[in-house]
Amino acid sequence: MTQKVLKVKDNDVIGSTNDFLKHLLSSGKIQALLVPQSTPSKKVAYPVLIADPKKLHADIIAPILPVATATIVSKMTKVQSPSKPIAVVMRSCQIRALIELVKLNQASLTNIIIIGVDCPGTFPMNVYAEFQEKKTPTHFILETLSKKSAEAEQYLRSACQICKDPIPTHADIVLGFYGADIEKEIVVEAHTEAGKDLIKEIHLEEQKEGKNREKAIKEIREEKTKKRTMFLKEKEGIKGIEKIAEFFDKCVNCHNCRQACPICYCKECLFDSSVFDAEAYKFIRRAENKGLFKLPSDALLFQLGRMNHMILSCVECGLCEQACPNNIPLMDVFIPAAENAQKQFDYHPGKDKNEKVPMIVYREDEFLEVGEK
Amino acid sequence: MNEEKNDHKKQDFEPKIVGFLCNWCSYAGADLAGTSRIQYPPNVRIIRVMCSGSVDSMYILRALLEGADGVFVGGCHPGDCHYIDGNYKARRRMVLLENILGTLGLEKERVWLRWISASEGQKFADTMKEMTESIRKLGPNPIAKYWNL
Repeated sequence: MTQKVLKVKDNDVIGSTNDFLKHLLSSGKIQALLVPQSTPSKKVAYPVLIADPKKLHADIIAPILPVATATIVSKMTKVQSPSKPIAVVMRSCQIRALIELVKLNQASLTNIIIIGVDCPGTFPMNVYAEFQEKKTPTHFILETLSKKSAEAEQYLRSACQICKDPIPTHADIVLGFYGADIEKEIVVEAHTEAGKDLIKEIHLEEQKEGKNREKAIKEIREEKTKKRTMFLKEKEGIKGIEKIAEFFDKCVNCHNCRQACPICYCKECLFDSSVFDAEAYKFIRRAENKGLFKLPSDALLFQLGRMNHMILSCVECGLCEQACPNNIPLMDVFIPAAENAQKQFDYHPGKDKNEKVPMIVYREDEFLEVGEK
Repeated sequence: MNEEKNDHKKQDFEPKIVGFLCNWCSYAGADLAGTSRIQYPPNVRIIRVMCSGSVDSMYILRALLEGADGVFVGGCHPGDCHYIDGNYKARRRMVLLENILGTLGLEKERVWLRWISASEGQKFADTMKEMTESIRKLGPNPIAKYWNL
């Protein structure tokens, strides 16, 4: 790994990172850059694919994740990989999701250069939009990073508050905010040959205080783990059919959560098929079974079925929760379920792209108690 | 007094069990039990599937949510799968399903996976007896009361 420092000019973090990105894009080594950039209304920052460096006005700190960036990279690489490198700026949860999609043959990393950014968390989409008048959400985050104020914390999505790991792993280049005085400098790390080659000709200064970053990363990871453990403890009570039924009461079967989930990639989901359309007499028969039944039916079957299908690869990005029109706090059940299931299979989504997803492999001598008495 | 009444009720209760049996082993095992005139409880409703590995957790969940008192999945013994490794995959899927049911506090004791070969008519009958009695002790599936799922 090469660690260097990008000097921040005139306290302008966004401007300085944009200069860096512009250099990358004009170097001719990459043909385009996928990076979050605010829309003209400034109410959202979407990932945009930039080909012309002059049009680059990115905001890599903007605390918002409107859609799964991993899904976008999947769409861009699934049919055919780019012939020349494309750099993609991603948060850690989205890099983890992308690795899972690669394992599931839904994305390719050929000619994709991942630029990971330290992620201090994101706001829910509608909260983000409200803040534009006096103080932008980006300012909140800059204050958090420079330790001037912790005000941003209260607005973070619950998934972000208890993030598994806000530091990007598996990135070719990492733009690090932790362990640096963000008003003066940003850490630039190149983890792979492709990354080293890309930053080779860009003017960066030598890193003198590498230990600071190590320490800061350790601290933030410990803090998040602590919060996550507390969260898991708090949510232990959501157990039993009465509580589970109540929890999903507001689910109207819109399937937005599945749409937002980077892991749910099936071209045709069972729940979009005609399996649940049937002759009227079958509906009547179903009503007769319990005496009555709620319509739209099978909301809980959808939730539990989806959970069974994706939970081992769940990267805990929380986009399902953000997508829910009825504000069901989905993370309250999905994070405990992911924690327990991934622990049993000793599987860590996003950790290793060469590892196989657990449901397609097996060992003959495992789980011997299952299937026998 | 009340407890006694409940016990009485539990003993009267006839569990409804949905059984997914693989075509090559367990279904043939059930067939053998039948042709050999081995008696077993009629509580199981058998659905023939091509492989235990083809039983998606969705089928099991659907049966449980619709109020089945138990769900049984039968496959070939490890190493004997007609499709080489379907039963090993079924085993992993069962582990995952049980794990999730455990997290959500739903009764994973109602879901059984057993290996029964085509020659094990007696084992099939014994397993059905064992499961029926075990589910009878558990009592009716509480999910059956919930129409709002």
